[in-house]
Amino acid sequence: MAELKDLVRQWLESGRVDLFLGYKEVAGHPLPYAFSRDNLEEVAELMVSPARYSLEKLAANILKARPGLRIGLLARDCTRRAVNVLTIYNQVEPGQVELLDLSCCPSRPQVSCSALTPPEVGEVKRALGLDNRLTPEQFEAIPAPERLGRWLYEFQKCLKCYGCRDICPVCFCRECSLEHGELVEPRDLPPEVPMFHWVRAVHMAGRCIDCGLCEEACPVDIPLRLLYRLTNRIVRELFGYDTGLTLTRPPFSVLGVGPAEPREAAGGKGR
Amino acid sequence: MYKLVPSICSYCGTGCGVLFEVLDHRILGTLPLKTHPVNEGRLCLKGWSLHEYVESDMRLTGPYLRINGRLHQVTWERAIGFAARRLTEIVDRYGPDSVGVLASAKISNEENYLLQKFARAVVGTNNVDHCARL
Repeated sequence: MAELKDLVRQWLESGRVDLFLGYKEVAGHPLPYAFSRDNLEEVAELMVSPARYSLEKLAANILKARPGLRIGLLARDCTRRAVNVLTIYNQVEPGQVELLDLSCCPSRPQVSCSALTPPEVGEVKRALGLDNRLTPEQFEAIPAPERLGRWLYEFQKCLKCYGCRDICPVCFCRECSLEHGELVEPRDLPPEVPMFHWVRAVHMAGRCIDCGLCEEACPVDIPLRLLYRLTNRIVRELFGYDTGLTLTRPPFSVLGVGPAEPREAAGGKGR
Repeated sequence: MYKLVPSICSYCGTGCGVLFEVLDHRILGTLPLKTHPVNEGRLCLKGWSLHEYVESDMRLTGPYLRINGRLHQVTWERAIGFAARRLTEIVDRYGPDSVGVLASAKISNEENYLLQKFARAVVGTNNVDHCARL
């Protein structure tokens, strides 16, 4: 931890980054906190939080208003994958974000971070819905005719809070299909079952970095992580594309001016 | 320049913890406070949209009075004076129970206390109710 604080202080002092997003305890809560050269003494209070926030999304929001800044991030594996996806989709320029890796999360093969606080799975959910802790393989052990019914049970609980989209580090579209009146009927609750969630699932193909924040934010425990894992498994099997691990464009990027130039991977060195 | 400010959602009485992204004194967005004991990192649609009304151009920033069928922005003194005069007239003419007071989940305990005190001690009615009873 002392080594980590020294590095952050060094990054700020040397001007390698203008802002460093880490965590600090504020009002009794571990909160994301922006350290800068103006508050160097506070770096002593830098901490590693068990509660995960999408620091990369916060950084992308800051950069939209202040493109000239260089921002350092305390990075878990999912942060690194998210920054790669944000770079591919031009939400973050290479060099704007520097990652300070944190080996806090043995996440490859990807660990279920929502397993840190596993949602209670009650009897009804077990009987009618899907256990959030299922792996894609366990899911496929469920007889095929039963699967759709179980998804429908989960989807009909949806409150349409848009939390899955709003918390998602790789959701940034200016116009969202989920708010499009032609695709999703306004005023309906639950939002059209199962289309609402399928629309989002399709958009997560080649984009979801399996951080699990959506599932943690879901007020009704829909197993979103499982849904997007299943979606991205198709992408992996059909196109050999591993989302977030490299800066290669996903197979669905058909728009644009020809093949993308290979870019330098997200900056920053491991500890 | 940039900070995350913990707060409580002002939409209903549940009291979910929220976090405002603040850049240069403007609220960019709202996040659920993950370690808050009430909502444990979840929010409803309203909580997620808290920042929108704070920064909205449509937001009322002062009192309005309808004069000759049209709303005019007036001083607080004038607005409160008008409300006080009309309430007094109504109470005098129809009695205290012709007035009802609707309290709110969106204001503090102390403000709600003052509101019932106003209803009971000033107006003289027990007609006090609250949106949570809908």
